[in-house]
Amino acid sequence: MATTALAVSAPTRRAGVRRFLRRFTLSARVAAVVLLLYGLIALTGPLWAPYSPFATGSVPFGGGSWTHLFGTDILGRDVFSRVVYGTRNVLYLSLTSTLLALLVGGAIGLASGLVGGWVDELLMRAFETIISIPLLVLALLAIAAAGPKLAGSSLLLILVVLLVYAPRIARMARTVAVDLVTRDYVTVARARGESVASIVWRELTPNAAGVLLVEFGVRAGYAPILISSLGFLGFGAQPPSPEWGLMISENRVAIVTAPLSVLAPAGALAVLVISLNLVTDGVARVLGRSVTRTP
Amino acid sequence: MNAAAARAAADPALVEVDGLTIDFWSNERWANVVNSVTFSLGRGEALGLVGESGCGKTTTALALLGFQRPGSRIRAGAIRFAGRDVARLSRRELQKLRGRRASLVPQNPATALSPGMRIGAQLIETMAVHRVGGSHRERERRALGLISQVRLPDPQRTAAKYPHQLSGGQQQRVVIAMALACDPELVVLDEPTTGLDVTTQAQILDLLRRLRDEVGMAMVYVTHNLGVVASICDRIGVMYAGDLVEDAPVAELFQAPRHPYTRGLIAAVPTIAAPHRNRAVTLRGLLRRDQLPPGCRFAPRCDFAEAACFEEPQTLLPVAERHAVACRRVDEIDRLAAGGDTADGAAPLRPAVAGDGLLDVIDLAVTYDRRARLSLARRPPTAIVRDITFDVRPRETFSLVGESGSGKSTIARTVGGLLRPLAGQLTFEGRDIAATVDSRSKKLRREIQLVLQNPDASLNPRQRVQEIVGRPLELFFGLRGKARRAEIEKLLEDVRLEGAFAGRYPDELSGGERQRVAIARALAARPKLMLCDEILSALDVSVQSDIVELLLALQDEHGLAYLFISHDLAVVRALSHRVGVLYLGELCEVGTAEQVYAPPYHPYTHMLLSAVPEIEGETVLSPAIRTDPGVASSRPQSACPFADRCPWKVGPVCDEIAPPWREAGGGHVLRCHLPLDELMRRAEDSALGVGAVEAVGADPSP
Repeated sequence: MATTALAVSAPTRRAGVRRFLRRFTLSARVAAVVLLLYGLIALTGPLWAPYSPFATGSVPFGGGSWTHLFGTDILGRDVFSRVVYGTRNVLYLSLTSTLLALLVGGAIGLASGLVGGWVDELLMRAFETIISIPLLVLALLAIAAAGPKLAGSSLLLILVVLLVYAPRIARMARTVAVDLVTRDYVTVARARGESVASIVWRELTPNAAGVLLVEFGVRAGYAPILISSLGFLGFGAQPPSPEWGLMISENRVAIVTAPLSVLAPAGALAVLVISLNLVTDGVARVLGRSVTRTP
Repeated sequence: MNAAAARAAADPALVEVDGLTIDFWSNERWANVVNSVTFSLGRGEALGLVGESGCGKTTTALALLGFQRPGSRIRAGAIRFAGRDVARLSRRELQKLRGRRASLVPQNPATALSPGMRIGAQLIETMAVHRVGGSHRERERRALGLISQVRLPDPQRTAAKYPHQLSGGQQQRVVIAMALACDPELVVLDEPTTGLDVTTQAQILDLLRRLRDEVGMAMVYVTHNLGVVASICDRIGVMYAGDLVEDAPVAELFQAPRHPYTRGLIAAVPTIAAPHRNRAVTLRGLLRRDQLPPGCRFAPRCDFAEAACFEEPQTLLPVAERHAVACRRVDEIDRLAAGGDTADGAAPLRPAVAGDGLLDVIDLAVTYDRRARLSLARRPPTAIVRDITFDVRPRETFSLVGESGSGKSTIARTVGGLLRPLAGQLTFEGRDIAATVDSRSKKLRREIQLVLQNPDASLNPRQRVQEIVGRPLELFFGLRGKARRAEIEKLLEDVRLEGAFAGRYPDELSGGERQRVAIARALAARPKLMLCDEILSALDVSVQSDIVELLLALQDEHGLAYLFISHDLAVVRALSHRVGVLYLGELCEVGTAEQVYAPPYHPYTHMLLSAVPEIEGETVLSPAIRTDPGVASSRPQSACPFADRCPWKVGPVCDEIAPPWREAGGGHVLRCHLPLDELMRRAEDSALGVGAVEAVGADPSP
C-alpha cells in the first residue's frame, strides 16, 4: 500500500486528498477552517493588533467605532486588541493542559487496564473519587490548596486542568485497554516477557489512538470554558491579563451600556468551543466512534 | 426419502438460478463476487455449496431468499423460486416467502435467537407471523411437536427456557426447529455446524438427515467442510472466486472429480484414514481477487492451464448425466494428471529423535479460581485441568485433542507461563521452570514460543510485518538496523513469504499469510518448543494443508518440537508423533498417533473418531452419539469424568472409583475400567470404518 501510494501521480494524490476531506461533514470542515483562523490569530496577532492590550487612555466603555472596533473596556483599553492577544493565552493554556492530561491519563489508564488486579482497583477507585467532586469545586479546592504564591500563574492553571481531566481520560483509556489486552497479540507479547511500558507503548497505544484522539478533542473543547470560568471567578488568570473569562468578569457591569466589551470575548470563546466540538464530531465520525460528552 | 423422491419427480425444479451475477461496492468500485452462476434444485433435493472463504457461496445461498447485502447489486441473471423471480418480489411478497416457503439456518445460533424470549414463544411467533396453524393453542401444540422433532429433551420444559440456558448444539436445534416451523419447501443452511464440536456436529448432521426423510424439504447447505457435505447432500456445487466450477452428484464428485480445483480441494482435506496425502495434487498459491484473468479464474493456480485458459471464459458444460464442469480441458486432465501423480508420493512424518524429554509435565493442575491464592479459601478451588502427565521430546509433535472446554488451551497457556499452576511439576530440559513469565529467565522465554488461534487477533493491526517479526529479534538478540532487516527477510523466506511482505500491515494479508507471519514471529526467537493453539482452525482447507506442510518442514529445518492443540482429529493425525486425548480437564488416552487412532480406544476417543464426517465411505454413527445429551457439565461429578456420556459405562464403579491407567504396550496408555481386550472387542463390534481397517494390521494383544 505504502509503495503504491508513493508511485501515484500528483493529480491522483490530490484526488485522494479531496476524497479524504469529503469524508468529513461540511460543519466539521467549516469548523476546521475557523480553528485554523484562531491558530493564525494566536500566532500572528501581536504583529497586527492595533493597540497594546495593556494601553489605557481612551474613554472607558466607549462603543464600537473605526478606531476601536469592539469599543473600549472599563479601563479604556481596546477590546479588539485584548481579544486578539487573549486568543494566544486561551489556546496555549487549554491545548497544553489537555495534551498533558492526555499523556498522563492515557498512560496510567492503559497501564492500569493491562496490569489489572488490585493496582487497577486502587487507581480506578481513586480516580472515581476525584471525578465525583464537581468540576469547579475541585478546581477551586486545588487552587486554594496551592496557596497564594502560585495564584494566577499559567503553571497552576495547567496543573489544575491536568488534575480535573487526567482521571476522566484514564478511565476512558482503561476501558479501551481492558478490551485490547484480551487480544492474542498482547498475550503473545506477555509470553515473550515484554515489560508493561513496552506493551503499553507498542501494542496498546497505536490501537487506542482513535479513541484517545476523540477524547482529546472533547476535553480540549471544554478546557477553554473551564479556564475562562476560573478567570471569571477570579481564580484563574490575574489582571491585567487579556484572558477572556477575566475580561467578561471585569466588564460585566457594562453589559447594558457597552455590550460589545462583554460580547466580544464571550463570542470568541463560544465560537472556539463550538468549532472544537464540531471538528471532534467530524473526526469521530470518520473514525467510526461515538462521542460521549461528560464534562 | 421416498416421499421426497416422488415429489422431485412430479415437479423437477423448485429453484432455478440462471446466470446470477452479483457485485459488491468496495473501494469506490463494483467488485464481482458471484459470476454467472447457474444451477437448479429439485424439490426435496439437497445441494451443497462448497468453496474457500470469499468464493461467493454464502452470497449465492442468501440470494435464494432474496437477501442482498447493502451495497451490493444483482447485475444480471434471475433466481426463480417455484417459478417466480425472487429478485423482483416486493418487500411484502418477500416477507411472505421467507420463513414460510423458504427459511434460513444461520451460522451462529447464539445471535439468531432473541435472548429475551422463551424458546416456545419464538417458535410460536414464527408461525403467527405467517398465520400457520389456526389458533394460539394449535401453534403451541405444534411448537412442542417441533421441539421433540429436533430431539430436544422434555419439550414442555425446553419451551419455557431462554436461549442462554441451552448449549450451542441445542440452540442450533432450536434454530432448525424455527426454520421448519412453517413447513418450508426450502431450507438454506449457512455453515450451521462450523462453530460446534465434532460430536455436536455429528448429532446435528444426523438430525438434519433424519428431518429430511421425515419432512422432505429441499436444502442448500453452505460449508467449507467437504466431509460434512459428503455425509448430507445429494449434489455438490463447487465454487471458486464467484464461479460455479463443478456441479455433480456427491459420490461421483468425490470418486472422480473433474475440475482441477475440485481435485485440489479434495486432495487438501486431511482425513483420518489417509493422513499423509499426495502433495502433488495440493492447491498452490492463493486466490487473488485483484489478479483474476479474463478467462478461467482458476487459471493462475491451475497446473494444467494453457495460454488459452487465461483468455476464454469458461462455462459450465455437461460431462455426464447431472454432472457439469467449467473447464475447457476437462477431457485431457485425467490423462495429464496421471503422469504427474506418481512424482511425489505420500511423505510420512520423520520419526522423532528418541531421547530425554524436552518438556515434562507431571500431575499438572490449573485453576482460574482466584481465591485459590488466598489461604483463607474455605473450599478447595475447582481445577480446570487435573492430573495431567505427559512429555514432549525434542523434534517431536505432541498433540492434545478434545472438545471445547476440555482444557487444551489452559495447558498450553500454563506451559507458556501465562497461568500459574495450582499443583504439579513442569520441567524443561530437566530443569524446573518457574511458574509464570515474570519469573522465568530470558533464555527460557525465548525457547518456548506461543502461536495462537485467531489470525485476525494474533497480529497487532497497527504494526507492519517487519515490526511484528522484528520485535523478538530486538528483544532476545539485540538486533537492529541492517542485521535485523536481513534476519526478517530470512524469516519471511522460512515461512514462504516474499520479502515485500515486510512493509505490509496485517489487514493487507490473507488468513493464511497472517498465520505464517505469526509463525515467523515465533520462529524469530529460535525456540526449541512451539506451542500451537488451534492455529489451523480458522483457515480454509487448502491453506490448512499448506501450513501443515510448512510446520513439518520447519520441524525438519530447525529441529522444533511442537505442542499442538487442536479439535480437528484429521489434522492432528497428519502431523503428530504422539497424541493425548483430553476430556473435561483430564487425559484419558496417550500414545503414538497410530496407537490412538486404532483400537483399543478409550470410549471417548472412539466417540470422537466416529463423529468425524469423512469423505470416503459412509459415515456410520454409533448409537452412542445419538443418545449423547450433548451437554457436558463443566464439573465432573463422577470419578471418571466421561462417565455421564460414556456409551460403554460399566456401572456405578465408573461414578465412584477413578479408572486405572491401562498399559496397551509401546507407551500407549488409556484410562478405563474396561479391560483392554473388552475395549478391543467393542471397537470392532461397532465397525468404525476408519479404525477397523487398521485394526487388522495392528497387534490386538495388549
